[in-house]
Amino acid sequence: MSEDTSTRKSALGDLKRIFGSGSSNLRQFGILFSLIAIILLFQYLTDGLTLSSGNLINLVSQYSYILILAIGMVMVIIAGHIDLSVGSVAAFVGIVVATAMRDWNFPWPLAILLGLFVGALIGAWQGAWVAYVGVPAFIVTLAGMLIFRGGNQVIGNANTVPVPDGFTIIGSGYLPEVGPNTGYNNLTLLLGLIIVLAVIYAEWRARRVQSIMGSTPAPLWVSIVKVVLLCAVIVYASILFAGGRVGTSFPVSGIILGVLVLFYAFVTRNTIFGRHVYAVGGNKLAAELSGVKSRRVNFLVMMNMSILSALAGMIFVARSVASGPQDGLSWELDAIAAVFIGGAAVSGGIGTVVGSIIGGLVMAVLNNGLQLLGVGSDWVQIIKGMVLLVAVGVDVWNKSQGRPSIIGLLTRKKKTAEFPSEPPMVVPDSGTPDTARPQSTLPN
Amino acid sequence: MRKILATTAIAAVALMALSGCSTRTETAGGDGAAAGFAEDSVIGVALPSKTSENWVLAGGLFEDGLKEAGYKGDVQYAGASTTVKDQQDQISAMVTNGAKVIIIGAADGGQLATQVQSARDAGAIVIAYDRLILNTEAVDYYVAYDNFKVGELQGQALLDGLAAKKAEGPYNIELFSGSSDDANAPVFFGGAMSVLQPKIDDGTLVVASDQTDIKQTATAGWKAENAQSRMDALLTSTYSDKTLDGVLSPNDTLARAIITSVKAAGKDIPVVTGQDSEVESVKSIMAGEQYSTINKDTRVLVDKAIEMVKVLQKGDTPEVNDTESYDNGKIVVPAYLLPPVIVTKDNAAKAYANDPTLAPLTE
Repeated sequence: MSEDTSTRKSALGDLKRIFGSGSSNLRQFGILFSLIAIILLFQYLTDGLTLSSGNLINLVSQYSYILILAIGMVMVIIAGHIDLSVGSVAAFVGIVVATAMRDWNFPWPLAILLGLFVGALIGAWQGAWVAYVGVPAFIVTLAGMLIFRGGNQVIGNANTVPVPDGFTIIGSGYLPEVGPNTGYNNLTLLLGLIIVLAVIYAEWRARRVQSIMGSTPAPLWVSIVKVVLLCAVIVYASILFAGGRVGTSFPVSGIILGVLVLFYAFVTRNTIFGRHVYAVGGNKLAAELSGVKSRRVNFLVMMNMSILSALAGMIFVARSVASGPQDGLSWELDAIAAVFIGGAAVSGGIGTVVGSIIGGLVMAVLNNGLQLLGVGSDWVQIIKGMVLLVAVGVDVWNKSQGRPSIIGLLTRKKKTAEFPSEPPMVVPDSGTPDTARPQSTLPN
Repeated sequence: MRKILATTAIAAVALMALSGCSTRTETAGGDGAAAGFAEDSVIGVALPSKTSENWVLAGGLFEDGLKEAGYKGDVQYAGASTTVKDQQDQISAMVTNGAKVIIIGAADGGQLATQVQSARDAGAIVIAYDRLILNTEAVDYYVAYDNFKVGELQGQALLDGLAAKKAEGPYNIELFSGSSDDANAPVFFGGAMSVLQPKIDDGTLVVASDQTDIKQTATAGWKAENAQSRMDALLTSTYSDKTLDGVLSPNDTLARAIITSVKAAGKDIPVVTGQDSEVESVKSIMAGEQYSTINKDTRVLVDKAIEMVKVLQKGDTPEVNDTESYDNGKIVVPAYLLPPVIVTKDNAAKAYANDPTLAPLTE
């Protein structure tokens, strides 16, 4: 009898390991679960339009630049700051780039470099005020919001400036059609295949590392279920993306986003600089006493944000085929909302790139689904506001109750019962802590 | 393991690259437009934010009109702070919803090229409503009031008003124009000047301040306060010892601001033109202060757009009356222009007979 229950319990424990282990992964799973629930809800309400090829392609190209901003914003917020200037910086860089191409005949690849350079300059300016002068980022970027919005109107004369066709590829371009006529976009299918192989390889490598380090990997069936599930989603998605209207496929802006997510997820989790960002945001004094150069970290984080804003601005201009005086309005709010829905803490030190992307996708799917249903923008705003409040509210309430999330609540009883038989082990696992604060050895 | 994976990937790439070059081709007929579409199709209507009375009215009329005609109307407004992005996303959603015709009152006509192109690729017909969509080939029709004609009527009304006020010239007038970032502003001004310039040249009209260039006459942001302060300055600098007989004002809001300024200076109210038939200006006209306004009935414009949809549904080509004037940077868009109507105290009752808000004011 007792043996029977314990097997059941450990099976439950194993099941959870499909989503990785550790409280951070469980919290992220909570958001991921909401995202899946919202997608399924709208899939039902819109009679299958939500997961149709055309709509998925729209979704990616409509929100890729907001998600790019969220990547930079989560790092700013982890470091304990905020950046209100992103929309204005994006608009400023957009008009500079558009004007450079129109009036000075800049070729478009050079114009993109110019845009990134201008972004870096703006970032250095704001970063210097935050890191070296010590003005709070809220104030510096509030000033930046005004300065660069005004700058946009000065340069563009409050007019809309069109951009040449070549430039539009970063915002409204797709993977080209090559190879045999399969009825699908071959490059998109190939991209899906490469991701599937990467997932299999990563799981295999993680298991090997775990066994070399002497840790007990999760049972083989857990790995297989996990990989099969992930691959099924990827294959399904790539077939959808590849099967859209001829001429469309996976958007170029989506590829830019994907590369950035991989890069910044790696930077924040696995590099010294990334861990320093968490350290400064978690406890600045402790970090400084440990030899972290907090000023340099703050400077680089703010600068990085402005470079990503510049990129986001250029992608939007490319998608709109013109730079206008209204570009970037209230983008900062979308990006900040994505980061907090994704589980970051207002006080800094906590948050992940992947979580923020999922948080951004929650908002994106919600927005898109409501638009498909023909809900007016007045109600869309009200609903989005409520979702932001409830999502962060639930998270805060759970933390104050000593629980990680609703999912944690559901599995808590089992875990306490399990505790004696599963002492905390200090071994590497597939999950990585998303905070610099010491992890509690108690279950959550 | 790694080698095997790498080999598989490379083999896959090679296979796809080598096994022929015939790429995916168009299967669905792109020219579904010519054959018409079902009577209960989705018709998308994308309007800018609800900040102006006119757009709110237009949205309601579209919703009712399309429903009455048996279509599934999908009428959407953009949010006030994010009009451009909202409108782009809404148009994309309409395409996904399978809209056959998309009527767009653009928030920024220069930033919709990608979305209207994807609408055309999906077989939808795009009608630009009131504001032209720029820098794209994918606009099928443009329906609006003739803005040059608006200017001409304003110029003519000014001349008529002056003649009625004082039999003999010369008349002292001043000129006002709209915001420099609005593409319509120079069109209004150009129309008015086409009537007024000959009279200025022959000395019948005198612009006493000499400010006749559109850069000098512009009113930033169409703001009443800017027109009022410019009028204040003109009265002080030029009209301390002269009479001001008439003012060309591009719209009603500015007309009332000009009248306020003149009243504050203690002068007689000159002949002032206007446009838009705003409630306050209609009252002012009936009270004998503002001289004229322009009636661009939103009902007629919406009816015209819906009529185009009905013609397209049958597979026919809608009537247009201007195939030369509206160059959007890529193509000349075929347009149907409705004639605006000039309204003075004399014809107000007749002009607003069908308008439930304005008709009682004219009794």
